[in-house]
Amino acid sequence: MASRRRMLLKVIILGDSGVGKTSLMNQYVNRKFSNQYKATIGADFLTKEVQFEDRQFTLQIWDTAGQERFQSLGVAFYRGADCCVLVYDVNVMKSFDNLNNWREEFLIQASPSDPENFPFVVLGNKIDVDSGNSRVVSEKKAKAWCASKGNIPYFETSAKEGFNVEAAFQCIAKNALKNEPEEEIYLPDTIDVVGRQQQRSSGCEC
Amino acid sequence: MSSDSSSTSGDEFTNPNPNSTSKSLEDQFASAALTEPDNEPPEIQESPNGVVNGSVGENNHGEIESNEREGAVGSNLEARQSARWRRTNSEVEVEAPSSPSSSGYAGERGSSSASGSSVGFEMMSGGIGGGDDVEIQEVSNVDSIQDSQASWVPGKRHVDEDDASLSWRKRKKHFFILSNSGKPIYSRYGDEHKLAGFSATLQAIISFVENGGDRVKLVRAGNHQVVFLVKGPIYLVCISCTEEPYESLRGQLELIYGQMLLILTKSVNRCFEKNPKFDMTPLLGGTDVVFSSLIHSFSWNPATFLHAYTCLPLAYATRQAAGAILQDVADSGVLFAILMCKHKVISLVGAQKASLHPDDMLLLANFVMSSESFRTSESFSPICLPRYNPMAFLYAYVHYLDVDTYLMLLTTSSDAFYHLKDCRIRIEMVLLRSNVLSEVQRSMLDGGMHVEDLPTDPLPRSGTLSPHLGQPRDSLESFREPFVGIGGPAGLWHFMYRSIFLDQYVSSEFSPPINSPRKQKRLYRAYQNLYASMHDKGIGPHKTQFRRDENYVLLCWATQDFELYAAFDPLADKAVAIKTCNRVCQWVKDVENEIFLLGASPFSW
Repeated sequence: MASRRRMLLKVIILGDSGVGKTSLMNQYVNRKFSNQYKATIGADFLTKEVQFEDRQFTLQIWDTAGQERFQSLGVAFYRGADCCVLVYDVNVMKSFDNLNNWREEFLIQASPSDPENFPFVVLGNKIDVDSGNSRVVSEKKAKAWCASKGNIPYFETSAKEGFNVEAAFQCIAKNALKNEPEEEIYLPDTIDVVGRQQQRSSGCEC
Repeated sequence: MSSDSSSTSGDEFTNPNPNSTSKSLEDQFASAALTEPDNEPPEIQESPNGVVNGSVGENNHGEIESNEREGAVGSNLEARQSARWRRTNSEVEVEAPSSPSSSGYAGERGSSSASGSSVGFEMMSGGIGGGDDVEIQEVSNVDSIQDSQASWVPGKRHVDEDDASLSWRKRKKHFFILSNSGKPIYSRYGDEHKLAGFSATLQAIISFVENGGDRVKLVRAGNHQVVFLVKGPIYLVCISCTEEPYESLRGQLELIYGQMLLILTKSVNRCFEKNPKFDMTPLLGGTDVVFSSLIHSFSWNPATFLHAYTCLPLAYATRQAAGAILQDVADSGVLFAILMCKHKVISLVGAQKASLHPDDMLLLANFVMSSESFRTSESFSPICLPRYNPMAFLYAYVHYLDVDTYLMLLTTSSDAFYHLKDCRIRIEMVLLRSNVLSEVQRSMLDGGMHVEDLPTDPLPRSGTLSPHLGQPRDSLESFREPFVGIGGPAGLWHFMYRSIFLDQYVSSEFSPPINSPRKQKRLYRAYQNLYASMHDKGIGPHKTQFRRDENYVLLCWATQDFELYAAFDPLADKAVAIKTCNRVCQWVKDVENEIFLLGASPFSW
């Protein structure tokens, strides 16, 4: 019964501006890539259906703007996220250095119940650029950082060539499944006849 | 009505002297006529555009009407048989009474199988109003002729759509429920999961404004209104191009929220506090029909904006007999005992000092009537009455006594099933013995007040001569004034009378020319506008209102005891219309014993 239920996952994509968050989304959802840079304003919302281990997932992807002036949207946007994807550009050291800030900012604003085990995924994007010759962040360095933050899964991707994008999002679904909370029995109170006296006086205005 | 004061004056509090009130209405209009220009203010006139749009969408209404009729005739036998058969099995079913952990609803999500059928004309008349629309409307008119024959199909429509579908975008009225993390909970049209992106956008808008310490209530975009309602972690949104007033749409969102609470209680808030990721949809599994039926009722059931309930017309003694046996069980630990026929109350009784809000009755009746499973067996289900106590469950024993008549016994005790079953058996026996059920059937066939039967100047009030609803209609000396061809005297087409103290309203039966479902829906929309403008906090509240447009003359008269809404032929004479309203009030007074539930303790305080 519960296993047949479709799951909706809220996925937040974070990272510096220009690292290719929107391109990754477009490649993943629409299988399209454009060389033109178009800054995201606020956030874009995309939906993608995913199958994982005979379960249906709907990814509700929040593609946020990387610019600092949109940071104030954080609390509202991050609430109730199931997974956070941190993206950096392997050719820009600063975008890698900032991963830590993005991660901490997310944990502060979203305040998940179990921050230690909150599912993140890290994507090193743009590995195709200049055939990898302009690369400044090594895979080893990136993996070391991920390991130090509780073994965050790491993927190297190319939004342009569609490399590894699918696998990265499969991992997101897998993580969410692993992190699925125990189904709790929904058990509201029953009206207490004794307590009714109180409720009437406060609640009933008719 | 003549202003002679021959009739006896009643109790000033519960029985305002009809003659004195009639005078005051005429006086009010006399003075109003001096200041009011004959043309009504533009904002209350329906634009021709709106009328055209509105008329197409009205077909929806036809479907439920015809559904009700067909249901009453066609499935009568079969349903009874199956009910009887199930009843013998009921003990078995009850061995595992539905636990409070379930939503209390036995249906399955799959019951929305009607999704594919295209009943949604609303989309056709979509708000853009370009040249294309004309063609589409013609098509949909053809559809509507066929569809109005068919039943209103419960359940969700057009699940295959999403926000990228042109058809989805053209629908006239959307309703959404979502969580404050942007996860979809319910959408009137389309599949919730496919609308995840749209849902996220709605949350982003609401949260963005909230972040600034403000609240978004309404966004107007062209002829669309986007109405927002925030209830803790639950967000409700309506997107509509029906030109209904903001207050009406907001009221509809409140009812949808109430319906959700009726199924789940406000305890869902705790789930969100514990886990912001909480996905509520599974808890509401199978309840699509409940919401779609409620939304449908916004266009045919005036209780949704009058916040009052209506009674099935019955002889006073008959209702008394029903009330007596209900009172009897109420004294044995039942919190509320309610006997209803479709959406009309036959009788109801509350335990000492417990009071039931008309909105709760509306939501409860909608829940029971829209859920097919209640019809086929006796049921025991946790429900919450949001106006009574939104935090906790009550338990409802529900049993259909015939195809349209059902008994609801509400209790606070989760193990009272067998006791309530015994109560029901007792009640059913008494109702059968005292012919209440056959009287109910007869009343259903006879209908209630018909404008054609509006008596002329009041007769001396000796009960026997005043027209009685229970009598066959042809025995009445119904008086028709020569100048009208159709409808009642003075071009009276329809009226609704709402008693403030009783929390009840009575509505006349639909007569020509308001005889098509689409015209009925249009009239309800007009009443709804009237209601909203009468209760407008900015410019109101008003005592009287007189509007004339190409469809009707609408007259509203509000006193501290009642509100009267009346629709006349658009060419009706104002002075005569006002007199006719006085006569309607007199008539309602004369037959109040039969059309209202009087002295019902739950409401009297």
